[in-house]
Amino acid sequence: MASTACFMIVSRNDIPIYEAEVGAAVKEEAAHQHQFILHAALDIVQDLAWTTSAMFLKAVDRFNDLVVSVYVTAGHTRLMLLHDSRNDDGIKSFFQEVHELYIKILLNPLYIPGSRITSSCFDTKVRALARKYL
Amino acid sequence: MEEYPEELRTPPVALVALVGCPELHAVISTHLHSEQPPINTLALPDFSKISLISKTPKQPPHSAQSLGIFKRDWLLKHRTRVPSVVAALFTSDHVSGDPAQWLQLCTDLENLKLGNIFAELSNTYYRDEGRRIKTCLERKSISSVELSIRYCFKVAVYAEFRRDWVEALRFYEDAYYTLREMIGTSTRLPAIQRLVEIKTVAEQLHFKILTLLLHGGKVVEAITWFHQHNTSYKGLVGAPEVNFLHWEWLSRQFLVLAELLDMTSATIQSTVIATDKLSEWEFSSAYYYQLAAHYLKEKRSCFELTLSMSETASDIDGNAESVAPSVYVGQFARLLEQGDTYTMQPITDEEYVRYALAEGKRFQDSFEIIALLKKSFESYTNFKAQRMASYCEFKMAREYFSVNEFGNAKLLFDSIASLYRKEGWVTLLWEVLGYLRECSRILGSVKDFVEYSLEMAALPVSIAGVQSLSSKECGPADPASLSQREIIHKEVFELVRGESGLASNEENNSVRVTGDQPLHLEIDLVSPLRVVLLASVAFHEQIVKPGAPTLLTLSFLSQLPHTVEIDQLEIQFNQSVCNFTIVNGQRPQSAAISNVQPGHRVETAPALMLSTNKWLRLTYDIKSDQSGKLECVSGPHFTICCRAESPASMNDLPLWKFEDRVETFPTKDPGLSFSGQKATQVEEPDPLVDLQLGVSGPALVGEIFAIPITISAKGHAVHSGELKINLVDTRGGGLLSPREVEPFSTDNLHVELLGVSGLESEDDNIRKIQHSFGLISVPFLNEGDSWSCNLEIKWYRPKPVMLYVSLGYSPHSSEPNAQKVNVHKSLEIEGKTAVVFSHQYMLPFRRDPLLFSKIKPGPDSDQMASLPLNETSILIVTAKNSTEVPLQLLSMFIEVDDDDIGSLAQCNTGLRTLQTLHSSCLEKSSRRFSLSFPR
Repeated sequence: MASTACFMIVSRNDIPIYEAEVGAAVKEEAAHQHQFILHAALDIVQDLAWTTSAMFLKAVDRFNDLVVSVYVTAGHTRLMLLHDSRNDDGIKSFFQEVHELYIKILLNPLYIPGSRITSSCFDTKVRALARKYL
Repeated sequence: MEEYPEELRTPPVALVALVGCPELHAVISTHLHSEQPPINTLALPDFSKISLISKTPKQPPHSAQSLGIFKRDWLLKHRTRVPSVVAALFTSDHVSGDPAQWLQLCTDLENLKLGNIFAELSNTYYRDEGRRIKTCLERKSISSVELSIRYCFKVAVYAEFRRDWVEALRFYEDAYYTLREMIGTSTRLPAIQRLVEIKTVAEQLHFKILTLLLHGGKVVEAITWFHQHNTSYKGLVGAPEVNFLHWEWLSRQFLVLAELLDMTSATIQSTVIATDKLSEWEFSSAYYYQLAAHYLKEKRSCFELTLSMSETASDIDGNAESVAPSVYVGQFARLLEQGDTYTMQPITDEEYVRYALAEGKRFQDSFEIIALLKKSFESYTNFKAQRMASYCEFKMAREYFSVNEFGNAKLLFDSIASLYRKEGWVTLLWEVLGYLRECSRILGSVKDFVEYSLEMAALPVSIAGVQSLSSKECGPADPASLSQREIIHKEVFELVRGESGLASNEENNSVRVTGDQPLHLEIDLVSPLRVVLLASVAFHEQIVKPGAPTLLTLSFLSQLPHTVEIDQLEIQFNQSVCNFTIVNGQRPQSAAISNVQPGHRVETAPALMLSTNKWLRLTYDIKSDQSGKLECVSGPHFTICCRAESPASMNDLPLWKFEDRVETFPTKDPGLSFSGQKATQVEEPDPLVDLQLGVSGPALVGEIFAIPITISAKGHAVHSGELKINLVDTRGGGLLSPREVEPFSTDNLHVELLGVSGLESEDDNIRKIQHSFGLISVPFLNEGDSWSCNLEIKWYRPKPVMLYVSLGYSPHSSEPNAQKVNVHKSLEIEGKTAVVFSHQYMLPFRRDPLLFSKIKPGPDSDQMASLPLNETSILIVTAKNSTEVPLQLLSMFIEVDDDDIGSLAQCNTGLRTLQTLHSSCLEKSSRRFSLSFPR
């Protein structure tokens, strides 16, 4: 498992709707540092997302040892991961499974698209996926 | 890049020496310098100075262990002191020889192209030199790795002199790779200095390679090369006491690449396409500036750590003075003065560390870091990568904060905060606001401090507090959590209640909110403080009659974590008579009530408590006004002025919009929440004046039709009254004919307002603006008086017309801006043609077969008829009254002239006079005779 990984879901209007520190060395204090990097990477994703039909954009940004990988859904929700591991396949599977979870959240009639995901079940599952793949 | 010596930064230029004839040197130098490629000249006035360029015999280097990789001044020497060609110039009288060859010599001189021959000769020289060293390399007879690197470097430089970039690049790379191999094996120097030397040399070789690649337009290769360089040296941190040197070195690598990219960016912009391996941002210098700044920060923190662990600072300073760079690149030595000469003595690692620390103390890293980040920020801004730029701005601001430049830091933080606010990145906003709060505390700005604190306390952070370990990664605000919000909330309310002061660094005493320095906050529609206090006002009715009471609901919402108690609410309207104050009933002793002016309405509410995310609703009745501003007051010296918003047009709180919270409406009645407005329309009072239009029957075309208007003041006096008269076609369209666009003439006019009669003073009572519009001023009328006049309207065509008459007056005073009351009346009047004329000719008897049996209208004139010449024709003219009123025909004229026969009728009913008939009648009866002869 990667020692550092910060996972965020950013809605189509650029607002973060879910965030989790999923690295082995969880440092909540550093969370905002990771978020700064992820926020800055949105600029690149914005440019890159329209140049390719692929959903998985690997290593869009690099900051020191930290790499940003992004998965853009059809609704332009961005799943962003800041990580230091190079396990591309694992990251891709992680994204795909989180995407499925996200779709299930969207199917909930009480969930307003674009609002914060507060489901603790979702949180637990995402963390389990992170342990499995990252 | 400026740190590198000039000879390293620019491509080498061939050097030739000129000896003798000093008067020609300037001309030749200039000429050679302007050659393509240029040649530098070393001018020696006469042969006595030739020893300057003579070669000192060297000991063969292979024998001894080499002392360094290459000498610091070798490149400079070859560029400025070792010429490739020496040209000796003689005046002709110094030359003697066979006169037979003299002519030949002259011809040769004629053919001599100085620039070409020099270029050729120096090329040969550099090639030979290069070849000589290459042979040494190939023989593999070199004793040490250092020499092999040195030889590769020399071959590459000679190749550069010849502008053979491919070979130069190859040998630089060879040197670079050989050097990389040296890292684990060399034992010549003490460990720390060994690594420093290798890195310095690697840096120079890397720089050369990078420059050659970029100048060759191979940007992708250059960046790939850089990554490779970065990967192979990044891990070589070295001994912990000098690890700051490594980070400084690494930062410089990034900075140099960024600067080189900036220099070449103009040329590469068009050619760069992101490849598989590299993405677009890797070609932008901004990225590398940012990383350079990052590593420089790393350097600073390591340096500070080392400094704090090392011995006393004075010890470092005293020892370092005599240490200087030695003759070899990347080496340092102690200078020993022995009489007139200096000798270099190797130093130990301990001495070197002390020297490096002393050197390091001379630099202000923070300003360097800010400068790098600023470049990065500007570059990102040019790319319109706003978020990247903001990240750089944030780091810049943090640097300013760390060097205690709080004013600058605050400016930058402010601009970033607005982006994070807009995009709703709460964690980042929290962090930035934490800095801002700290900056304003230190700067002693209470208002800013309160604003930032309130905003932080109202941010949508619901994580239960984690026990925070104070980390240097964190800003002055601890990680965002609910408990932290509560702490901030408490702090700020203690401050505004005057219970505690704000400890400012500026002047050592704390700043308080007191009666002398009251605090006033404004919250408008775009203020970030809307989350703190959101005020909405809804009138229950959209339109009210003056004097009639209506209900008004005030609603307040706050997202602060604790309940806020309001002392007093002041509600202000644009009509200040309606303003009123609501006082908290639980705090009757509150001093704020004394501010209330006498005669002011004061309401007492049982409790004015604002709980988190719960609307505080207050409903009051109010008379006859429109709303404007809503002000609410809290605390003895603390007021918040909040712009009221209509519930119908109220925007969501941007940050709370997507949070998991109970959504409630500002008013109890949900309908009012969706449609409520913060303004209401107050109607004008009912008119108490009668306006009568007395009309009998239809109007006749041509007649001046008089319409009597009577104004009788029954309940109101009429001040500055004004009658507006407007004629409108009932079927739509204008009262003018369709050719209205043409210049205005009465011919096109169908109905015209002529004037007004029956006024006492005739002057300027009607101000005609158009033919269908009039304005009449009405004199002052007391209650019970009446006034009348006659409107004169004339029809030119039969047409029904709507007549609108409206009276505007002010019932109380004649001031121009007094409230007006309006009375409207309208009437449809039909215009009719009074008399219809028709005519016909009696057909003549058929007497002549040649005569036309029928009188046909000619093709070019609608009513043209041909009548027989010299015959009596009978014309029957009929006038028919088509109105309901009897008309008396007075006379009828039928006129004949050369061209026209006109008929003019005048008739009189005794009541009405039709003075002229409209031209249409004339047209109908006018005839033209045409002569026709039988053939």
